[in-house]
Amino acid sequence: MSDLKLVDVSKSFGAVEILKKVNLDVKAREFIVFVGPSGCGKSTLLRLIAGLEEITSGELIIGGERMNDVDPSHRGLAMVFQSYALYPHMTVEENMGFALKFAGMPKAEIRERVLAAARILNLEPLLARKPKALSGGQRQRVAIGRAIVRQPKVFLFDEPLSNLDAELRVHMRIEIAKLHRRLRVTTIYVTHDQVEAMTLADRIVVLRAGVVEQVGSPLDLYDDPANLFVAGFIGSPKMNLLPAVAVITAAGRTALRLPDLGDTLVVLPDGTPRLDEGRAVTVGIRPEQFSANGSAAFDLTIDIVEHLGGTTFLYARKDAGTAIVVEMKEGRTHKPGDAITVRFDPAALYLFDADGSRIRAGV
Amino acid sequence: MSPLRLLNRVGVYGFLGAMVFLSVFPFLWMVVGMTNTTGDIILGHLSLGHAFLDNTAKFFVQANAPLIFWNSAKISLFGTALTLIVSSFAGYGFEIFRSPTRDSLYAGLLFTIMIPFAVLMIPLFMIMGKLGLINTHIAIILPTVASGFVIFYFRQATKAFPSELRDAARVDGLKEWQIFLYIYIPTMRSTYAAAFIIVFMATWNNYLWPLVVLQTNEMKTITLVISSLASAYYPDYGVVMVGALLATLPTLVVFFTMQRQFVQGMLGSIK
Ligand SMILES: Nc1ncnc2c1ncn2[C@@H]1O[C@H](COP(=O)(O)OP(=O)(O)OP(=O)(O)O)[C@@H](O)[C@H]1O
Ligand SMILES: [Mg+2]
Repeated sequence: MSDLKLVDVSKSFGAVEILKKVNLDVKAREFIVFVGPSGCGKSTLLRLIAGLEEITSGELIIGGERMNDVDPSHRGLAMVFQSYALYPHMTVEENMGFALKFAGMPKAEIRERVLAAARILNLEPLLARKPKALSGGQRQRVAIGRAIVRQPKVFLFDEPLSNLDAELRVHMRIEIAKLHRRLRVTTIYVTHDQVEAMTLADRIVVLRAGVVEQVGSPLDLYDDPANLFVAGFIGSPKMNLLPAVAVITAAGRTALRLPDLGDTLVVLPDGTPRLDEGRAVTVGIRPEQFSANGSAAFDLTIDIVEHLGGTTFLYARKDAGTAIVVEMKEGRTHKPGDAITVRFDPAALYLFDADGSRIRAGV
Repeated sequence: MSPLRLLNRVGVYGFLGAMVFLSVFPFLWMVVGMTNTTGDIILGHLSLGHAFLDNTAKFFVQANAPLIFWNSAKISLFGTALTLIVSSFAGYGFEIFRSPTRDSLYAGLLFTIMIPFAVLMIPLFMIMGKLGLINTHIAIILPTVASGFVIFYFRQATKAFPSELRDAARVDGLKEWQIFLYIYIPTMRSTYAAAFIIVFMATWNNYLWPLVVLQTNEMKTITLVISSLASAYYPDYGVVMVGALLATLPTLVVFFTMQRQFVQGMLGSIK
């Protein structure tokens, strides 16, 4: 249970800079999730923290101590890998106790710790088996058990659930959440999965191309994205992002012309910043923000209907415009080809500048 | 079954049968031969005779069999063990560690596989002479220890060794050599088994280099002794056959006991 700090951490492989001046302050006991597109450097950042890669520049501080040059095994962390990385020639018990045995801990104490961890994870009946004789979910639990046994100050997870099937993934996700609530160990968790990120994290770190785009609680990122990238990345289905051009109306108010919605004008409410005539911006609206009583209304044609039971997603467009995703609670009667009128409240729109930064109301 | 397919079948089985006969016949003849006298063998007797005990006794008298056997076993076991340790370490290193010179070094290594031994023999003999190792068993073991082929084999096999296993071991506190010893070797057991069979057979059957380097009778290996029995002025073929059988047995035993791991090792050891 330590805090962890990254100060201007950069990493290059040869001439290629993979991580660029990453700064992050992880509080003790916090559950941090790294998300970002493939290749953005999530795993690399985790491996820097673990000590499996060298930090090119910047500082890593765990529990107040500079850890840049400390051996991985002395950093007080444990890591769970995507492929589980269990030692194939050892039994479950030996796997879990290996690090301790290697550190010279007495046998009885190792056994005690292994049994305690096995109890938490329901691994007791499996202790004598080899990894080969375990299912994927069981292997994953052993890998987590191996990490717990070391009683680390920080847990590191690199996409631990991505090799499991959907049902097991949900199950293990809940297990990990429970485990964190029980052990309260500082955790850094890398994932591709939106749901894992949203449900597990105290705070999410969104990475893109080696740069931290935003850090915040899951709902903060969802409700108040700092830029176009985060807005598009967090949320599933994605936020609808439409190009727009600012227009000043005869009454002197700012309106937006949306080519994808048949060039209709949407007048922005008071409090939104005034945009110069002709300024190109991007408008964002989440699928569930379409409602029955918004002041802006558009007629669209439905392309595709996805019934999920409780909700329905409509993919609709105006003529040849971009498809817009609309979430409907009461959409069971809709069919492809139907015409539909969607409404939204202009105050709910997100506005982004041409460079992707957010244009906030009241600024 | 149509007549054409039947004919086809007969052809296929006929061919396979002939091949089996060709490969098994020498063994049969060896077994039959060691029970017959030289005269019967020359006459082409293909049934079991009564001279087995006689031949065996003669072999043990003529060849100092226990010593010869011990020489062969010592060279093969030590040589194979050393070769596996050194060459697998090198193959692992080539695959795991990056360096600017790695690829050119490796290419050079692969090139050494293509040099026929006959080309190396004379310089090697001179080196051994300088080192004072002529007529020692070390002279036979040493040149094979860093084997281009075995290094190549282990580098290929190491590609299947998961890098996350190394990472896990590093987080668990293992140093590089400990990872090799405690994680890599046990994980790659079947690769080692396959390599063991290949290298053991090659050293056990090695003929040319021992022939050049070993000069006194009490240093010789079984292959040399059999060959000298067979090339005597009046070779006693029954005795030669006894020797041949004894020379074949260890490789048979090694192969059949490790056959399963051998196949696994050739397929790749981690599934
Ligand atoms: N050892 C290495 N040598 C050179 N480049 C590397 C090395 N490891 C990673 N990279 C590069 O660094 C970048 C980031 O890789 P990283 O594995 O951190 O991405 P990631 O965000 O974890 O992606 P994914 O979601 O696919 O796992 C990639 O472009 C990758 O090619
Ligand atoms: Mg990754």
